[in-house]
Amino acid sequence: MYYFNEKEIVVPGQLLADDPKKSGPGTYVLGGKVYAAQAGLPKLRDGVVVVIPLKGPYKPEAGDWIVGVVTDVKPSSIEVDLGGYLTAVLKYPERQGPPQGLTVGDVIYARVKSSNIRGIFLESEEMKKLTNGIIISMTPARIPRLIGRKGSMIALLKKETGCNFWVGRNGLIVVSGKSSEGEFAAISAIRVVEKEAHSQGLTDRVAALLKSAKGRNHDDREQGDKAN
Amino acid sequence: MMTESKEIKLIDEEGRRVDGRRPDELRPIRIEAGVLEKSDGSAYIEVGRTKIFAAVFGPREVHPKHLELPDRAVLNCRYHMASFSVDERKPLGMTRREIELSKVLREALETVVFLEEFPRTMIDVFVEVIQADGGTRTAGITAASLALADAGIPMSDLIAATAVGKVAGTLVLDINDIEDKYGEADMPVAMTPRRNSIVLLQLNGRMTSEELKKALEMASQGIKKIYQLQIEALKKRYSVVSLEE
Amino acid sequence: MSLSTKSPKTSPIKIMQNRIYELLKQGKRIDGRAPHEVRPVSISTSVIEKADGSAMVSMGGTKILTGIKVETGTPYSDRPNEGVFTVNAELLPLASASFEPGPPDERAVELARIVDRCIRESRAIDLEKLVITEGEKVYMLYIDIYVLDYDGNYFDPAVLSAVAALATCKIPRYEMRNGKLERVEGESMKTPIRTIPVSVMIGVIQDRLLVDPSPMEERALDTSVILGYDSDSNIVSIQKNTPGLLSLNMMEQIIELGSKKAEELRSILVEAVGLGS
Repeated sequence: MYYFNEKEIVVPGQLLADDPKKSGPGTYVLGGKVYAAQAGLPKLRDGVVVVIPLKGPYKPEAGDWIVGVVTDVKPSSIEVDLGGYLTAVLKYPERQGPPQGLTVGDVIYARVKSSNIRGIFLESEEMKKLTNGIIISMTPARIPRLIGRKGSMIALLKKETGCNFWVGRNGLIVVSGKSSEGEFAAISAIRVVEKEAHSQGLTDRVAALLKSAKGRNHDDREQGDKAN
Repeated sequence: MMTESKEIKLIDEEGRRVDGRRPDELRPIRIEAGVLEKSDGSAYIEVGRTKIFAAVFGPREVHPKHLELPDRAVLNCRYHMASFSVDERKPLGMTRREIELSKVLREALETVVFLEEFPRTMIDVFVEVIQADGGTRTAGITAASLALADAGIPMSDLIAATAVGKVAGTLVLDINDIEDKYGEADMPVAMTPRRNSIVLLQLNGRMTSEELKKALEMASQGIKKIYQLQIEALKKRYSVVSLEE
Repeated sequence: MSLSTKSPKTSPIKIMQNRIYELLKQGKRIDGRAPHEVRPVSISTSVIEKADGSAMVSMGGTKILTGIKVETGTPYSDRPNEGVFTVNAELLPLASASFEPGPPDERAVELARIVDRCIRESRAIDLEKLVITEGEKVYMLYIDIYVLDYDGNYFDPAVLSAVAALATCKIPRYEMRNGKLERVEGESMKTPIRTIPVSVMIGVIQDRLLVDPSPMEERALDTSVILGYDSDSNIVSIQKNTPGLLSLNMMEQIIELGSKKAEELRSILVEAVGLGS
């Protein structure tokens, strides 16, 4: 027996199911029953109840792509800030010097190699130094929605704005385009995704927003010309 | 104190309290989640004229590092009052009372947060009283647990709280500042309603054991109502997120 | 959520530093504002009943609460015919991950002193009207400022909230009766205000200026300066509050810009507190 509706938000302590075997991520078992451990949307996924959080901290896992800021360069390792709360480490052979000449303040896009009691370590092989763009942050819990099913949302954003996106699971995103208009349109679309992460028809609304933004930027430019 | 309590009529002939409430009536309560932008979770509560902000940061790296725990997160809590929140201006800095309340609040919150999910990190809870008119610790913990839930920190339940007092020989729910000053007893109670258990309990003053039992029952009834308001506030916070057009 | 204020280490992010300047040259900013545009301001007064005066001010995402408590006391011996006021500020840890609990640090003390200077040097409060008995008893105003939410530039909203709280403060009246100081029940008076000071924070990046910086911009600035102005556009206080060079050639531009923005902020303040000038 289940006690939730997939469209309604649940809160910590809310009863979700009475079979303890159905307890998935975002839930807990008490007295043989399953309760929500976080505020979020309840779902039945692979036979267990999960709560998809709408907000919450980033928990690094091997294989995650992250965006980070270099905060320290040591003789054989580099410290990378993952958005204020977590620091990851990128190791390199001392005799080769820091990969891609990284220095403090650089932004990188990299994959998590491992995350455990020893710390968070990044892969150096696929690491990319980002040299241009605007960096923004959003709650890590909503990053999956920004990426979209099989990358559909980010593909839409790329298509409509002509910008490149580096999306970190840790909640940092770098947007880089040819014009600041395109970047601003992309950022406002990202803000819509963040705000309305789990609403119906989100993709359509983002597409409509970007189309109208294109028109508006065009108008701005014309007015600007007149003013000059 | 005894002479003063005779001057102020805490319960009138009709059984009403100084602010017109019945003995088992809560003050008007307003609760909102997600009111501050820069914290990871936040809440605001008004209970009568008591006004409090709560905010949560983390889980974040522990500073200083030697305080970190290998098997769970460290929960920090600071209860603090603005200088102008009380009748007589409170000097800057933490008083002994604020230090004690920070401790009991932290211990109450620890009972519902799944700290073991975030070893070697720290979760900070800040409770800022901007106006104190009685029941600040109970309103503060109510807001703090909501701020934790707003931050997406895994927890078994929200915590709701209120105080029961004894004024002019009568047990009264959710006592205000005047009742606290001139009454005979003040008993703050915080509970996790899901488990029907107490997570904070203090008593200042005197009650008979019969009165104590009745006072706990009254508190538990009041807490159920506050709990509903908390749940509504949290759901409202997120419905804005998911339905706003 | 903010990237910049959460970072424990505050060295600038290189790509943003370049970008902020590039955008400024195009007359733009990362949050979509024009270089000389302040964020929306909202002011509500008398929000704390237990304070004699109070105001909550938000400027964009930055939120400040000021409360004033009035007490009576002895004047300073060198100013026997003047009332007393003091300004305190706290950067509450709930306002930002970069603020820590504990006694006010140098940033908080600087904020308090900048607000104090704006009010004191503009002679905004007619202190001579705050005397009960010359040389013996005067009103003492404790102006306490709390930063509740820090999203860049807490200076300008702090001055706005302190002045809004002052302008709407009800000072409880006291009288000397038979050599004893007594409260005149039910009577209060308005703060005697002579001018309405406001401050404007201006950031400098190379040859460009911006006002009311966001945290990300604060980190990218070469330097910044906070100017206080009275109602007659006199400059009443200045604080260059970050390291870095401030070119002498830019001062004229800075003073003009500040004066224009001060007027804008003052009109918002005047409207909110209902002060006709």
